[in-house]
Amino acid sequence: MTEEASGFLDVEALLESSEPRPGGTWLWYAAGAFLLLILVSSYLAGRSIAGPWLVELVSTMSMMALVGGMGYMAWAGGRAVIREQQQVEAIEELVLLRRWSEAAEMLRRLLSRPARTPQARVQSLVYLASVLGRYHRWADAITVYEYLLDLDVLDPDASYGLQLGRAMAMLHEDRLFDVDRVIGELRRQCEGRMPGGLALVEIYRDVKTGHPQEAIELFELHQEAMRRQLGMRVADAHALVARAYDLVGRPVEAAAAYERATLLAPEAELSRRYAEVAAIAGKYAAAQRPERQAA
Amino acid sequence: MISAQTAIARLRWDLAISTLLHRMLIGAALLTMFADAVFGDRFFRGSLLLAVIGTVWLVLMFRSVKGSQIAAASPMLIAAGQWDQAEQVIDQALRGFSLIRVVKLRALHHLAMLRHAQRQWAETAVLCQALLEQKLAAATGLSRSARLMLANALLEAGDLAGTYHALVALYQQRLSLNEALQLTSIQADYLARVQAWESLAEGIEKKVELAELMPPEPSARTQALLALAAKHVGRGDWERYLRRRVELLADVKELVAHRPELGSLWA
Repeated sequence: MTEEASGFLDVEALLESSEPRPGGTWLWYAAGAFLLLILVSSYLAGRSIAGPWLVELVSTMSMMALVGGMGYMAWAGGRAVIREQQQVEAIEELVLLRRWSEAAEMLRRLLSRPARTPQARVQSLVYLASVLGRYHRWADAITVYEYLLDLDVLDPDASYGLQLGRAMAMLHEDRLFDVDRVIGELRRQCEGRMPGGLALVEIYRDVKTGHPQEAIELFELHQEAMRRQLGMRVADAHALVARAYDLVGRPVEAAAAYERATLLAPEAELSRRYAEVAAIAGKYAAAQRPERQAA
Repeated sequence: MISAQTAIARLRWDLAISTLLHRMLIGAALLTMFADAVFGDRFFRGSLLLAVIGTVWLVLMFRSVKGSQIAAASPMLIAAGQWDQAEQVIDQALRGFSLIRVVKLRALHHLAMLRHAQRQWAETAVLCQALLEQKLAAATGLSRSARLMLANALLEAGDLAGTYHALVALYQQRLSLNEALQLTSIQADYLARVQAWESLAEGIEKKVELAELMPPEPSARTQALLALAAKHVGRGDWERYLRRRVELLADVKELVAHRPELGSLWA
């Protein structure tokens, strides 16, 4: 599947179709049928022409069928929940492995029908936002992030992470006024949290809006926090600060930062993530993985 | 604080009671149907008794499902570092009755996760071993996670033979990506401790790719161990490449303090 073909992820339709249906109504119907059966069998026991034994036999068989049917429905429901959870885990793996087209297709199938549990739906929507970001569909990604944040079902840390994702998507969409507001909110919530994620958003904002010196200062201030918090994604910060050094005319530092960035992530991937980084691709030497050197 | 031995004893007792209750309910239902066929109408109405048994079963199942929903919160609490709250939730799940045996096993599994997060290696190992004794744990996939925790706990406690046996058992199982990542991290640590440098450096490209997918701390440690293996087998290109990466990913002093053998990379 090409990146253009991923347009089939119709976000509005998926949000609507994945709404969980109110469940458990069958239990009340079954309980009603159960009660009715007892009453009818009791009433007919003394009046049946065929004799009470026939009524007793029919009512016992019906009771067993009802209990068996309820047991089967509970078992089948449980199995469906497990299958759904397995699908969500498979999507998580595909996203982690960056097999985006397969993840997109699986998400489309999963979200095209009502979710069994709200948790699985929320998890799937978080992955949907990631996949949309990979295909540069930032407006759709923002829609998903805002929908999730409006649901208000996530714990504060997860909600903070989603707000960071939304801020990044807004920056890509050039919604700079909204980003400033969101960054202000995030700063207020940042207390007690590692500031690495927020620092990356702010560095990107500064590079994008032509404030490279501020980006460099932020990088130097939060380098340690970003390293601890972002893992391999700290490559993004090195790549953006390389662009910042390039903008202020410090090519030596820019080359060193670019080399550090490409030591952690492939050059093509960094260019794909940020148009600003793509602008310096080829200008500075990228680090090479050993097997590439051998080839 | 719940002791491992108390939790295990409670689990065994509850599993026995749950099995007994299951069998009693099925037995009572069968007996009712038999009695109904033989004595029907003269002494009692079988359908009414069946309804009572069905209701008891439904109520117990409902309570069990409620209990499992409460216990489901503990992994998130553990991940968020809210250990006291997690301990309370697990204690509640372990004390409560459940007709569904998996609910009890999950509660014990969550306790093992908590002790693992608290770096209480001996308690973690005891809990994981108790879980692995249960056949149902294998059927529900809990055994893979328990074995991974066991391998890590034994490794941290310095029991290399025990770690080896736990790792070997995992090679025979189909693992999820997250489990495979954990296994790679533990295996790298184990191979470095037994100084099996050739084995550790074997397929280094693939192992580096897996390490890139790990969370920050194990990712940096695994790449450092792979750099050390590359150094020992004379692959200077990989040693330099990975060492420089580790310098960008972790505080080298902290890393060496935790794994002194890595000091030779920066000597």
